[in-house]
Amino acid sequence: MSEQTGKQLSKEEKDARFEAELLPVLDPLYNFAYRLTLDEDDANDLVQETYLKAYRFFDYFEQGTNAKAWLFRILKNSFINEFRKKSKQPAKVDYSEVEGYYNSDDVEGEGGVASTTDMRTESVQDLIGDEVASALNALPVDFRTVIILCDLEGFTYEEMAKILDIPIGTVRSRLHRARNSLKEKLEKYAKSMGYNS
Amino acid sequence: MESKFTEAHQKLSEDGHESECDKIAKLLDLMIDGEASTEEQSYFNTHIEECVPCFESHQKQKLLKGLVSGHLKRVIVPESLALSIKARIQETV
Ligand SMILES: [Zn+2]
Repeated sequence: MSEQTGKQLSKEEKDARFEAELLPVLDPLYNFAYRLTLDEDDANDLVQETYLKAYRFFDYFEQGTNAKAWLFRILKNSFINEFRKKSKQPAKVDYSEVEGYYNSDDVEGEGGVASTTDMRTESVQDLIGDEVASALNALPVDFRTVIILCDLEGFTYEEMAKILDIPIGTVRSRLHRARNSLKEKLEKYAKSMGYNS
Repeated sequence: MESKFTEAHQKLSEDGHESECDKIAKLLDLMIDGEASTEEQSYFNTHIEECVPCFESHQKQKLLKGLVSGHLKRVIVPESLALSIKARIQETV
């Protein structure tokens, strides 16, 4: 058996280890890329680039450490360095399209949409998801990022600080401001959910 | 002892409750993210048992987090992506 540095590994062994350790992160990584770029092709390119960079630096990656945080950090740096300029602007939110639906008698006063599973409820769930996505996409990318890392991917503040290269105090304040901002965007929708009543 | 918190939060009661509710507001994110220490948790929980505005703020913050974690749809990774990553890696020396 060779040493853990990986330098003594054959290319086949290295590739196999790389795939085993890092490819399982593909799904969250692609989702993160998509939430940053808001474009499937851009997300695709960004993820490929991230894996190629990770491969180049794989000898320096310590086995058994947090592969997910490591890849997220590489992706976030690639996004900032090369991608940000060419990625598309955040989609504008149009609440009026869904507003009418939420205010209709169908959903009003249910006090919660997760209790039943009929088709109508599922379509309401879809609309909630769409609404959350629109509100999130309308946030500045730094705000979007901390919310995705924290609420969707479940990273700790400490991991987020490493991924973003900022102190934990900045993670906290940015997250706080991001949530306030998201709250504002979701206000109309939230009212219809009884969130502010 | 009293730390000034510059951001505006919910209206506070008039009876000198102010600084305590401010401290609770600062702990909201830590609480919903599971980042509060044991001491912070018990301080927080004791307070919201007696303070309705802070209790409500906590509920709202939890709901907000739940909207993202529970409702934001994940995008499907294109099947070709893993294949092209593997292919590009194999041709990298
Ligand atoms: Zn209070």
